[in-house]
Amino acid sequence: MLKYTIRRILGMIPMLLLISIVVFLLAKAMPGDSLSGEIDPNNTDPEYIEDMRERLGYNDPLPVQYFNWISNFVQGDFGKSTRYKMPVSDLILEKLPNTVFLGVSSLLITYILAFSMGIIAGRKPYTIGDHIIGGLNYLGLAIPSFIAGVFAIYIFSFNLGWIPYSGSVDIRLTQGTFEYWMSRIHHVIMPAIVLGALSTASYTQFLRNDIIENSRKDFVRTARAKGTPTSKIYNVHILRNSIIPLVTFLGFDIATIISGAIITETIFTYPGIGQLFIDSVFNRDYPTLMAITMMLSVLTLAGNLVADILYGVVDPRIRLD
Amino acid sequence: MVNVTADSNKPQEKTVNMSPWAIARRKFFRNKLAMISSFFLLAIMIVSFLAPYITTQDISRVNIGQMSLEPGGEHILGTDKAGRDVFTRLLYGGRISLVVGISCTALVILFGTLVGSIAGYYGGNIDTMLMRFTDFVLTFPFLVFVIVLNTILFGIVDGLWVLIAAISLLSWGGVARIVRSKILAEKENEYILAAISIGCKPSAVIIKHLLPNVLSTIIVQATILFATLIVAESALGFLGIGVPQSIPSWGNMLTASQEADVLRNKPWIWMPPAIILTVTILSINFIGEGLKDALNPKSFR
Repeated sequence: MLKYTIRRILGMIPMLLLISIVVFLLAKAMPGDSLSGEIDPNNTDPEYIEDMRERLGYNDPLPVQYFNWISNFVQGDFGKSTRYKMPVSDLILEKLPNTVFLGVSSLLITYILAFSMGIIAGRKPYTIGDHIIGGLNYLGLAIPSFIAGVFAIYIFSFNLGWIPYSGSVDIRLTQGTFEYWMSRIHHVIMPAIVLGALSTASYTQFLRNDIIENSRKDFVRTARAKGTPTSKIYNVHILRNSIIPLVTFLGFDIATIISGAIITETIFTYPGIGQLFIDSVFNRDYPTLMAITMMLSVLTLAGNLVADILYGVVDPRIRLD
Repeated sequence: MVNVTADSNKPQEKTVNMSPWAIARRKFFRNKLAMISSFFLLAIMIVSFLAPYITTQDISRVNIGQMSLEPGGEHILGTDKAGRDVFTRLLYGGRISLVVGISCTALVILFGTLVGSIAGYYGGNIDTMLMRFTDFVLTFPFLVFVIVLNTILFGIVDGLWVLIAAISLLSWGGVARIVRSKILAEKENEYILAAISIGCKPSAVIIKHLLPNVLSTIIVQATILFATLIVAESALGFLGIGVPQSIPSWGNMLTASQEADVLRNKPWIWMPPAIILTVTILSINFIGEGLKDALNPKSFR
């Protein structure tokens, strides 16, 4: 297992290098100074720009520039935001907890909903309950997240008044108190459901089909024959087998959440990385844009790595090749 | 005039051995949900592409005298905050959304099939190299890179084509993988060996012998992609990044819902595109399911 894990991690390094090169080249293709953000975009004096370019090393050959950029990046120096006039790393650190909170809540809600619905549908397939859950799944898969989000705000915030429609917390509350955390949960619940809708639907579908398939297998018949209660067969014997493939989805969820967060955070004006990303596009804050692009690419790659490794953990056959 | 009776040379109906395509067609025609969806999609397409003949309203002119009118009267679905007719914009918007969806799907299928079939047919080093490249493209977070590419290319090329290029460039990976795995399985058959041994060129083997046999997979993939790419376009439009705001698309029209006032008090501005988009996506999905069922020789329905 250790050998397999190490091999996977080593296999990721060339990918990481290639992605960083692509991001670097994209950053170079962006208008202005999108690597460091040191050049003031409002100062159009050609002498100033030429002076700064020379000082920042933009007249060096590309490989040297790449090497300087990547070594700074690895050390946590992501350049300076042209809009906020502060290091991008500080900006990201400020917003990151919100996005992580959103992502984790979304995963939790996904797991809770998918497990309960999948078990209900899988245990009594082709009944009314199963069909209702099947229909909900279909909607979850087909309705785009931004439409679901817009309708959620319209119905639950404006017409019913159950949830707030923007922000991540009630700013009047002091940090750390019980009410503060309740308010954060209150703010995150709807975006998290919308963000997790797609994975919830696919998990439920998968779990249902897997439970039905497993319930026809020999070990279930044996368990029945020796008099094991039905609930125990389903909750212990079958569920354990059906959970295994689900574990591997976790890694891919990271990628889904990253792309989803950009949309969800914009709809719910939730201050996180996704919103910072969109804002930086509109404000032409290219250093921030490229730093977040690089960060999200690395995270996606890490998600794939986690998926690969988990796959090896649950399915020993994978480790051999 | 000789009136030839058709009866004498009319082919026997319900021949015992129907071609696979005829079987698939019959199965699809019997699937009510898929048929209703097909008619709906067709209607949407026809109405959208005939938009200039259906309404005569100007889509881009700002009309301050008619801002945010409620539905009814002269404007069937009301007007938006700039006084433009929502119904007219909906028709024109459908045109853009469908054009982007169709052209991206065509490009993605073309490129994905090309890469997938070459990798699958030749195998060996070519396969390894092409598939590594595909894996590499697949690791890019889609939305992030579409936005970045769009930002870079914006202003250099016409807005709509930037979007189509950016979306297509990042989406072909999945198709390439699926086509490759199908080709790998298919080329083991003896008729391929026969085709090669009588001296068919690789291009002829791929195009004439292999592709027709994986066509059903490609068709189903294309339907799923069509839905996904329309969603991608409208998501970008909704974020305000896709098609330039001066051109209406369903996603662009939904951008208005980001204003709390519009979202809360003027649902006629954002609800029509939201609903029509959802119904379109649903119907494409139903068609996809129907095709999958119809083209699967193992399903008896």
